[in-house]
Amino acid sequence: MRPDGWLFLIGSWGAILALTAFCFARLFRTRR
Amino acid sequence: MIPYFVSLLLLGIPLMWVEWTIGRYGRLFGHGTAPGIFHSLWEKNRFIKYFGVIGIFGPLVIFVYYIYIESWLLGYAYFALTGAYRGADQAGMQAFLSGYQGLQPHPLFPDIGWAYLFFLITFAVNMWVLSRGVVKGIEWLNRWALPLLLLFAVTLAVRVLTLGAPDPAHPDWTTLAGLGFLWNPDLSALRDADVWLAAAGQVFFTLSVGIGVILTYASYLSRQKDVALSGLTSVATNEFAEVILGGSIAIPIAFAFFGPGAIASVAKSGAFNLGFVSMPLIFQQIPWGELFAFLWFALLFLAGLTSSISLLEPAIAFVEDEFRLRRWQASLTVGLLTLAATQPVIFFLGKGVLDELDFWGGTFCLVLFATVETLLFGWVFGIDRAWEEIHHGADLRVPRIYKFILKYVTPLFLIVILTAWFFQNGLPTILMYDVPAANRPYVLATRLGLTAVFLGLCALVRVAWRRRPVRQGTA
Repeated sequence: MRPDGWLFLIGSWGAILALTAFCFARLFRTRR
Repeated sequence: MIPYFVSLLLLGIPLMWVEWTIGRYGRLFGHGTAPGIFHSLWEKNRFIKYFGVIGIFGPLVIFVYYIYIESWLLGYAYFALTGAYRGADQAGMQAFLSGYQGLQPHPLFPDIGWAYLFFLITFAVNMWVLSRGVVKGIEWLNRWALPLLLLFAVTLAVRVLTLGAPDPAHPDWTTLAGLGFLWNPDLSALRDADVWLAAAGQVFFTLSVGIGVILTYASYLSRQKDVALSGLTSVATNEFAEVILGGSIAIPIAFAFFGPGAIASVAKSGAFNLGFVSMPLIFQQIPWGELFAFLWFALLFLAGLTSSISLLEPAIAFVEDEFRLRRWQASLTVGLLTLAATQPVIFFLGKGVLDELDFWGGTFCLVLFATVETLLFGWVFGIDRAWEEIHHGADLRVPRIYKFILKYVTPLFLIVILTAWFFQNGLPTILMYDVPAANRPYVLATRLGLTAVFLGLCALVRVAWRRRPVRQGTA
């Protein structure tokens, strides 16, 4: 895999994980 | 992946919010499916409810072929455990699949009996879950199936990514290098309309937007329940499962076994070939392969099951809501009709029936339905009211830029896609350019059947509206 490929992968995975974590954290906070 | 993420941001996420919001809104008027929901959004228009029929017809059509493919997964999970295809090579696996489907004679499959048996089991499981209702059936299934699915997917993804280079002759064919096929940016592909169409289609199908399913699920929410955060969470969770886990299984492992030269053709040969031919072959090459193959098919079967029940839910909810049938009566009626409709898919599989259903139900209806609902939401209902409706009881403030995206960008994007798709793929398919002459009668008969179903649903809507007392919403 090329370096720009790794960059794209890490950026995308990071964004998805951050969004998922944000959503679930907010869900748990508001539904408690 | 770039067109995929652009489609996700400009189509997937906005459509998810649209469908969650209009679904919850429709319930105020006692409607849980698209004909009634569309009518609630544009009360003055007498015809809009017939556009809503697409939101029942589309998923129904997808269900009719999807459930048969889902049953192959159950069959293959069984065959993986029993070692029925052990030792088969590429041609052997291809013959196994054709034999199972009843397309070609095979020593293990004298007739279509095995396929039909697994189909009946799959159909019965679907109907059993659906007849139990939304809470005891659908919610119950998802509550245990989704964690299990996650566990299977993580197990498989870890196994694949730690596999290294399985072929000693090609030490550079590693699964990590295989990620490059998905992630190395190819800017030249951005000029290819086909890539954009495929990316948008992927977003539609995996998020289940544009089908008519999400609005029906959302219609079970009360007015005070949040849709903004819930909609976004469903997108985020889907992306985690699809991009991070899904993207780390099939393509990387196929790359490690077939190499950089063949991976493009393996990926392009379609999901069937990758899933039912390449993956079982690959699993034979790794320790505990039969167990992993079983996990692979069981994973896909469970995923398929949670999807197929959602596909039939709009039709059942429509009969239940508009004709005041009990849940079991509605499930039985819709179940028997779809059971009959599935038969041509099973017995005329090689005649192009399945492809035809996929074209109308799984492609055309999706984009058309999404376009209609977005225009209705942002323009007819009005973007200011729409924005207010999204935020009613919301646990999240949607970024303001999405007000602009919802009104202008998403509809424009959809219209461009619909137009490009129509001329590139739609017209040649409608005119049957690629259909062999021998299959044309079957394809035409399928179209006739589809037309009859669509008109039948329109007639049911008409009857339901005539019987229905005029209701006022409580909005």
